[in-house]
Amino acid sequence: MNPLIRDSTAIAKKDLKQLRRDPLSLALTIMFPILLISMFIVISGAFRDSHAVPIVIADQDGSAQSKMFIDELTVSKLIRVAQLVQTEERALETVQAGEAIGSVVIPKDFGNKLLNGRAAFVVLQTDNSKVTASFTVIRAVADKSRELLNKLNVQFNVRLVSVDVVPRPVSGRPPNGDFILPGMLGLITILGGFDDAVNAITRERERGTFTRLVLTPMNLFSIYGGKMAAALVVNAMRTAFVLMIFVFNGLVIQGSILLIFLITSLISMFTMSLSMMMSSRIQSSATLTIMEIAITFPLFQLSGAFSAPEMLPAGGRAISRALPWTWGNEALRRVMYLGLDLNAISPDILVLVVSIMIFLPLATLLSKRTM
Amino acid sequence: MSGLKVPRDILAVVSNELGVFRRNRSAILISLIVIPFFFTVSLGAGQGSAATFQPTAALPIAFVDNDLSVASGRLYETLVRSEMFNRLIQGYREDNALAALGKGSIYAAVVIPKGFQDRLMHNQPGTIIVYVDDGAPGVGNAVLSAVNATVQTYNPSTEITTSAYVEVAGFSTIQVVLKGTRFSGFALGLTITMSLVIVFATFYEIAGGMSREREEGTYARLLVSPVSLGAIMIGKTLYDLGLNFVRVIVVLGLAIYVYGVRLNTDFVTLLAGAVLIALLTMGFGLLISSLGVGLRAVVIIEFFLILFLFAFSGFILDKELMKGIPQIIATYLPWSYGIEILKRTILSGTPLLSLTSQLQFVGFSIVLFYALSYIFLKLARERLLK
Repeated sequence: MNPLIRDSTAIAKKDLKQLRRDPLSLALTIMFPILLISMFIVISGAFRDSHAVPIVIADQDGSAQSKMFIDELTVSKLIRVAQLVQTEERALETVQAGEAIGSVVIPKDFGNKLLNGRAAFVVLQTDNSKVTASFTVIRAVADKSRELLNKLNVQFNVRLVSVDVVPRPVSGRPPNGDFILPGMLGLITILGGFDDAVNAITRERERGTFTRLVLTPMNLFSIYGGKMAAALVVNAMRTAFVLMIFVFNGLVIQGSILLIFLITSLISMFTMSLSMMMSSRIQSSATLTIMEIAITFPLFQLSGAFSAPEMLPAGGRAISRALPWTWGNEALRRVMYLGLDLNAISPDILVLVVSIMIFLPLATLLSKRTM
Repeated sequence: MSGLKVPRDILAVVSNELGVFRRNRSAILISLIVIPFFFTVSLGAGQGSAATFQPTAALPIAFVDNDLSVASGRLYETLVRSEMFNRLIQGYREDNALAALGKGSIYAAVVIPKGFQDRLMHNQPGTIIVYVDDGAPGVGNAVLSAVNATVQTYNPSTEITTSAYVEVAGFSTIQVVLKGTRFSGFALGLTITMSLVIVFATFYEIAGGMSREREEGTYARLLVSPVSLGAIMIGKTLYDLGLNFVRVIVVLGLAIYVYGVRLNTDFVTLLAGAVLIALLTMGFGLLISSLGVGLRAVVIIEFFLILFLFAFSGFILDKELMKGIPQIIATYLPWSYGIEILKRTILSGTPLLSLTSQLQFVGFSIVLFYALSYIFLKLARERLLK
């Protein structure tokens, strides 16, 4: 057997045995995908389910149509009419005091304008320091305005300019569905890769066994190769675990499962290479982990996990495109949702492979220098 | 002399902490420069500068007009003039557009079906179909929201106007006139970034610092020294408040001078908000370290604390949108009140002292954390002295 493969296998076995004996690390490897996914379910559930964002209404018209509009707003599942106030000033004060997220002012002549084929308006003041809540109020009021017009159209035959927008996602998924799941798998892989590298190198250094390992007849490539192989086994387990959770939650994976494993393995290898480079400069495992967590949080936004790079400003787009993780996340998404094959995602794979080929030798070289 | 003992002890703890910090170059770099700089610049990269950024503006989107009518032409103009679609591409056929979706050349296709104008003229709703590439996260929602918002101002019968209030002759419409200060993504993100930087660095400095002392063996020596527990806790708090001051300055400096953010509050109010979040985190850090956890556990707790804050403290999702258990967590999570204080003061310009309920909750939590830490540290000291 080739000594490089033999030595790497021995190191991989050693690292896996070590992980089995460390229940905290093992639990963390299994627990953190569950926690991340649970939090995602909480966040996305809030957007899907009905909620009751408080608003106040000032009806200055007092017409049958304004009352119909108030009735429409009252039955909305998104908002809750907390108070009916007399004046516009009082409505604004309520929002400014933080007692309500939005105030709807229905001005005089509202009903008359609607019945006479003219443009009526309502004034909606929102507390925009609360982004998601104010957005929900705006959406609810716009939806209910449309519904009121449709009712008036049926009851009074008023003429409408109504354009229905029919959404058709390419994959057939509902647009508000689980669009971040592949990105979440990517992020779990990145976080896992960082943690695996800390376990494999920095903690070994702290225990003092890394120096002994280097002093054995094995060469450094075998040591790093073995550690990488062990981390890839852990990563494969993690990927399988996450995919199982996704499938149990109703996700239909369109593409090849093997391709998904290939992509997460490449993401993990790149992340580990980068972490190994960093570990040659930062010797404490705790400091390195903190540093890596600090790197990971901005990646939620910049690695294309939760929003496409094309939706970022020019500078952010350039940074996002320069990150190999973005290509990995994009490949994951295209395989999982659109069912694309290896050929279609080859540019993404190429970027990841080239990045690994640059960073892994660099990590080995830097590590050699610090010994 | 005894009256001076406590301040002298506090000063000794502060100078000891600073001495340890000064000897650790990577800690200085990470804590004071890398974390604040990295988080703020990442925010800038993700949200642009203080100007309002429209995420769909630069997306290439196909406009397929199968009706070729005046009404469909006006709809195209309405979309273009909204400034939400600066790369609306004409010339695609429906089948070509569908084939291109998912490949990265276009991200959505707006299709106007035949008979669009006829339906409108017969007092029926016109229908448009929007195909979206849901292989790109967030694109579907963003495009659909922007199209929905734009068609509200659509007017097929008169000349297009760019004013927000549109009079459509002969048709009944309801225009929702939006009021309330609009904030840029960067300004909104600044409150989150500042809180994140403070919590992230502070928790590790306090809880991690004490756990490291425990692992190095200096913790026990500190506890059994003649310095009172109160002096140790105040000393560590003052030292970390100093570091947080530097961090807030770095974040604010970048936000104001590089990204052009304008604050709606004065510096003292902003600093007071930051101090409250820092004290809250320090209290929690002291509490965790007083339970005797190791450095690795501190790092793990830190990771989950940040995740927890992301999910429940109004970082991303306002607590008004939560219900059930998440709502209960958000209601009792003191950081969510601290973040609300920062948001309301920095963004809306609300006077700090008018936020009484938030201040009370944060104040109570700080006292509770510090009191519990004191009790646990005292118990640890007694155990050591036995």
